[in-house]
Amino acid sequence: MNIRKFFLERGYLEVFTPTLSDSLIPEPTIKNFETEFINEFMENRKLYLIPSPEIFMKRMIASGSGSLFQISQCFRNAEQLGRVHNPEFTMLEYYTMDYTEEDSIGLTHEFLKETALPEAGESVTGKPIIMSVKEAVATYSHFDLDKTQDVKALREEAEKRGHHILDEESWDDTFNRIFISDVEPNLPKERPVILTDYPEQIDCLAKKKNDFYRARWEMYINGIEVANCYKEETDKERTREYYLKEFDKLRKERENSGEVIPNIDLSFCDIDMKESSGVAIGLDRLLMAETGKNDIEDVLPFSFRKMLDV
Amino acid sequence: MIKAGQIEKGTALLIKGQPFLCIEREFVNPGKGSAFVRLKLKSPATGQTLSETMKSQDNAEDITIEDRDFQYLYNDGENFSFMNTENYEQIEVPMKSFEGYEFLMKEGESYRLTMWEEQVLDIQIPSKVVYVVTETEDAARGDTVQGVTKDAVLETGLKIRVPGFIKQGEKVRVNTETKEYIERVNS
Repeated sequence: MNIRKFFLERGYLEVFTPTLSDSLIPEPTIKNFETEFINEFMENRKLYLIPSPEIFMKRMIASGSGSLFQISQCFRNAEQLGRVHNPEFTMLEYYTMDYTEEDSIGLTHEFLKETALPEAGESVTGKPIIMSVKEAVATYSHFDLDKTQDVKALREEAEKRGHHILDEESWDDTFNRIFISDVEPNLPKERPVILTDYPEQIDCLAKKKNDFYRARWEMYINGIEVANCYKEETDKERTREYYLKEFDKLRKERENSGEVIPNIDLSFCDIDMKESSGVAIGLDRLLMAETGKNDIEDVLPFSFRKMLDV
Repeated sequence: MIKAGQIEKGTALLIKGQPFLCIEREFVNPGKGSAFVRLKLKSPATGQTLSETMKSQDNAEDITIEDRDFQYLYNDGENFSFMNTENYEQIEVPMKSFEGYEFLMKEGESYRLTMWEEQVLDIQIPSKVVYVVTETEDAARGDTVQGVTKDAVLETGLKIRVPGFIKQGEKVRVNTETKEYIERVNS
């Protein structure tokens, strides 16, 4: 209730968008739950459980909704069942018009302070430690990200640090490998950590800040990734280019594996996205942090692992 | 070969020719990008631990391990001697690979060993074991109130803290991971 109050008091519109969608945006790294709409008087249609409400919320923004928020159930298939993963999870997503990603940091800190459960400690409500990804890599992995913008240079740094890199590995896979083994486990835990300015090479719909970095941040609480924020891309050409590239990746990957390619809606590229910053927070993970639990199962009475008894 | 995503706690892998056991596994899905697993591996031979981050789709060389029952005979300060309870064959396991196990294992007792070919990867000690208290001072009068603990030495030489009311010769159940007293066992 506190969450809703926080946004409603600030004039955000609460929206409820579909959980079942007949089409998706191309996201090659996400697998979807698929079902079928059956009606005896028309052809059956495939439907998907949404991996995030982003597509609908952005359409509303484009049509002039102003700042808005939503708490929704999201679904990601084929993900491993682990300490911080459940295929169905609860996401809070909020977009603020004319905000930059930096403005969203202030808002998110205020949000955590005002909505946290009384037992939550400084690790949730404390003033966030802000550092750029470049600073984090320099601190915990001891090399300069500016100087490792090409695959070969990054690969050399990774190999020096004992990582086994596959021959055909892309820049972002190698980066993630280093990030996950050297940076993420060593991030401070006493207060939330906000890592800003993600490498430009990790393609997404966050605006570019400069040649190497994007206006995107991620927030870690107790070392667990809890939130993600963009200064949203508004350039239609860039958006189209991005989606076509992602679609191509998805098609190639699924053709290789023999998996069915879901119905993709590229008309999304043509919406009139407004200047804004969007944040997505995994509420189950946030609840874990607030209550000091170490496993997502401890905050989900009906987790997949319990249901499937695995 | 298995996919890294299939590795679990207890999976045995061959890395650069050396067997390792997975002791911790965590899935990581970066906001954008492929899924990864973060592994903590331990070499039973040297005790060395290794952190490894693999893409879920990466191949890993797994090895087949099996459990066999052995009787623990004795240690000579360098090696533990075990006897296979089926064929009476004896094997030696370097003590440095299983530090502190001499205080947990009872001579003559049977233990399950995790084996890869002829190499011992793990000695499985039950998480709760009953031991005889061989040395402990009698509690001073008045020290038997709840919460007061004292030193005790168990039959294997393990030193733990026990409640004041425990007497020499009595049996206690001990958590072998934390080396803490659980309860008195009446026999």
